[in-house]
Amino acid sequence: MAIRLFNPLTMDEPRKLGITLVMPSLIIVFGFLLFPFLYSFVLSLMNYDLARPRGNGFIGLGNYIHLTQDMYFLNSVVVTLVFSFCSVILEIILGVAIALVMNQDFKGRGILRALIIIPWALPSIVNASMWSWILNANYGALNALLSQLGILHGYRPWIADPSWAMVLIILTNVWKETPFTVIMVLAALQGIPTHLREAAVMDGAGAVRRFIHVVLPMIAQIVMICALLQVIWSLLHTFELVYVITRGGPFNSTDIIPMRIYWQTFKGLRFGYGAAMAYLAAIALLIPAVFYIRSAYKTTVE
Amino acid sequence: MRFVFKRFTFRVFLYVAALLIAVWVLAPYAWLIISSISTKIDLLNVPLKWIPSRPTLENYRSLFADGQSALSQGMSFFSRSMLNSIIVTFSSMGICMFFGVFTAYAVARLTFPGRKFYLMMLMGSYMMPPIAIVIPGYIILKSLHLLDSRIGLALVNITFILPLVVWIMRGFFLSIPLELEEAARIDGSSRLGALLRIILPLSVPGLVSAGVFCFIASWNEYFYAFLYTSMRARTLPVLIGEFTTKVGTDYLKMAAAGVVASAPPVLLALIFQRFLVRGLTEGAVKG
Amino acid sequence: MKHRFLFSLVFLLACASLFAQESITVIFPKHEADLSGAFASRVKEFEASSQIKVNLIQMGWDDVNNKLTAEMASGGSAYDVVEFDNGNVAAWLGAGWVEPLDSYMPKGYTNGMIPGLVDLFTGGDGKLYGIVWNNDTRFFFYNAGMLKKAGIANPPRTWDELVSQSKTLMSKGLARYGMAGFWKAEWALANDFHFYAYTYGGKIVDKHGNILFNTDPNTLAAAQEMVKMLKEGVVDPASLTYDQEAVNNIFLKGDVAFLSQGIPGIMSYAQDPARSKVIGQVKVGLVPGGKVGTSAALTLPEAYAIPKGSTNKANAWKFIEFMTSRETNKKLAQQIGILPIWSGQYTDSDLVKLYPYWADFSKQMASAKGLAVLTWYNNFVDVCIPETQKMLSGKLTPKDALNEMAGLLKDYAGKP
Repeated sequence: MAIRLFNPLTMDEPRKLGITLVMPSLIIVFGFLLFPFLYSFVLSLMNYDLARPRGNGFIGLGNYIHLTQDMYFLNSVVVTLVFSFCSVILEIILGVAIALVMNQDFKGRGILRALIIIPWALPSIVNASMWSWILNANYGALNALLSQLGILHGYRPWIADPSWAMVLIILTNVWKETPFTVIMVLAALQGIPTHLREAAVMDGAGAVRRFIHVVLPMIAQIVMICALLQVIWSLLHTFELVYVITRGGPFNSTDIIPMRIYWQTFKGLRFGYGAAMAYLAAIALLIPAVFYIRSAYKTTVE
Repeated sequence: MRFVFKRFTFRVFLYVAALLIAVWVLAPYAWLIISSISTKIDLLNVPLKWIPSRPTLENYRSLFADGQSALSQGMSFFSRSMLNSIIVTFSSMGICMFFGVFTAYAVARLTFPGRKFYLMMLMGSYMMPPIAIVIPGYIILKSLHLLDSRIGLALVNITFILPLVVWIMRGFFLSIPLELEEAARIDGSSRLGALLRIILPLSVPGLVSAGVFCFIASWNEYFYAFLYTSMRARTLPVLIGEFTTKVGTDYLKMAAAGVVASAPPVLLALIFQRFLVRGLTEGAVKG
Repeated sequence: MKHRFLFSLVFLLACASLFAQESITVIFPKHEADLSGAFASRVKEFEASSQIKVNLIQMGWDDVNNKLTAEMASGGSAYDVVEFDNGNVAAWLGAGWVEPLDSYMPKGYTNGMIPGLVDLFTGGDGKLYGIVWNNDTRFFFYNAGMLKKAGIANPPRTWDELVSQSKTLMSKGLARYGMAGFWKAEWALANDFHFYAYTYGGKIVDKHGNILFNTDPNTLAAAQEMVKMLKEGVVDPASLTYDQEAVNNIFLKGDVAFLSQGIPGIMSYAQDPARSKVIGQVKVGLVPGGKVGTSAALTLPEAYAIPKGSTNKANAWKFIEFMTSRETNKKLAQQIGILPIWSGQYTDSDLVKLYPYWADFSKQMASAKGLAVLTWYNNFVDVCIPETQKMLSGKLTPKDALNEMAGLLKDYAGKP
């Protein structure tokens, strides 16, 4: 009797079935995440300094206020925004362009499609170390290549310069993340019914017009999803890349927010302050970014 | 004539572009492979010799060398962590795919109270920087005695991979025409029956693509794995990250380890690249 | 009757198994010279002689620190012996994470230990909290072969002498630069800051945590010298991207003549053809100072400590005692060249035969100092790194950089 009441295989009512199917995932994901989210939130409202425990206690928004005056934090907000913005724009443009190329018919297309996943498949630690060595001031492959090609006269310490460090961090991030966009856009392109494209050709539309009116709308949804994910990843989930290559330097020019949080939490043992940083970053950066992208998508579709 | 000329230049442009793309992707990876068979003194050479003068497999050998050391029990650390990676990745993949598929179906096809809320929560779970929640997560795992265990790590992986699976499969299910499913139900099948008999077979490519993404995400995961495991349950990325000392990184060993560790995801992608593309086709468009 | 016998046998076996294998969990970094598992072998010896099983966890220094932060913050019960780095002493003592060892040590245990190493791990209450396992003192190395070719008789005794010697070597094409610095945005940069200050007799903070580095003229002189060496081209301009490993590589490749803070193992690396192009040319010198005679070296020791949350403290002490004993120190010194913590070992005939340059090391160790002892040391490093980099790249004058540093740390000043 009980089995009959609760047998998903025969359950048909959408509401009961829906909730039954969704429940396990909800429990698994939030069973684990709820405590850390709450714990961090409570900590962010406290002065929780492990090395000086006598001063610990509830201070309300004190951490958040202090953050708005923290020169290093404000710097890292700017750095993170620049990093994220540039990374995502490049990833999207390159991703779409490469996908368009790979969508054409040519020999070796299959192999190329398989090779494109390599950067994304490398463990991030290996990726970061590899680039760190390539960019090495004295022995790195980049310097070697440029000087052997005659473009450079003498080796340059690329990541000693704050602007170049940022550029290179962005480029290495783009190298790693673009394949994700390529694959998703490529899939979307292949979903465009061929009869639509042929119709446009017969109408005499040029390649560019074809792109804007036929191709773009159909992949806009996917581009938006990619952009969203890339923004989330680049704003708050990139860590190893900067940790290994520049450690946030030179003089905090690549000091993205996760590095800041790492330093305050793991090194400074100021758990409250670190938690506040995380929440402030999430609220102040991520949520607006998400809304912005969704609204940009809606306007392009109309 | 003009048309043929245009076509010709177009094709030249295409092949050049394809070549550039291939170089862009492969060059750093090729350098990684070259480094892994070099000696330190080769890499320090100026001007750099692109082919090492004394190629050696010593870096690879040293990866497996400590099998006889005082600490391991017969299996080298590298082999053990490879095994751990395989177990953790496949088990989290299995659970994510199983629950993810059902959840995705529910979110794609069924209306139930809280559906929008659930989708928002899904997005929200990605919003916190992992670095801020690793320590509370550590406390949880510690109290459940799941630290340094493959189960604990699999659990943590599932929390951030499951939403991804739901996302991908939802889009894919949305693109399958409703009529097919309704036809099956008219014939007397239940909803889940229709899912199992009609929808899933049509979505094998989608399942495969979700699987590959699952695999790569879990296989390469570093930060949680690092903090939550120790000598017993350590996965490959963690071991690779440990080739550092107080004064610097053992780059050669890391390169060799990196080549070995990246081989499974790359091979997997190579084998399934056809499905990957076709799978996301349906999945992504209606997403 | 039979049942009672069986039952008591089982009961006895159960009791025996309870007491038979005690075990402890130990975590500390892998020593950079320990390529052969020498420490692990010693651990196995300990297991054999004491019947205590050891779960040994060894990984990179950074990784151990990160892991320990998470574990100690959540109770510290997972480990019985932990790595206790000199930079963490004040913070961990402030947090109350480690156990004083006085009740476990036999009386007079530390007699014969290098005094500096004992002081660094003694708390404000006079109790000892850690026994050093890695006497990581840094020394001054130079390429004697290069100097000889240039006709320079003696290594430099002051930084100014180093500058002029470097210029000679560079103009003769014998070296690309005089030195390289590990000035990447990492922990070690703050070490260098301390190092130069100490060679000028400069102060960083006082024992109450008051900031002295921006008012002490010696510290300012040291900072100015750092900038001067870079500006005059004596120090490799790419130093802002180097970590310690990179600096070692450059020295071992023969690109630079001097290595201001080398690990003790450099001498053996220098003889290894897979790593070095300067075989037989490297010698140890006294660290140059601001003036003749003000030599100072940095020591960055790491110790074993027992977390308060451990449930096996007595066994943990046995482990520490074994691993830091004179016998173990000597074995490890013979196997991988680590520096002993017992003063007497530096004149031990076997060791002196293996490492004749230890006599030079001993001379330096008398003037070895540790990093500033602050609960907020990590925050100091956080600020020291970018400000020092700004100073080195010319964005700020040394005086402004020091003042800006002091300003950014004013919330912490005055706290020990």
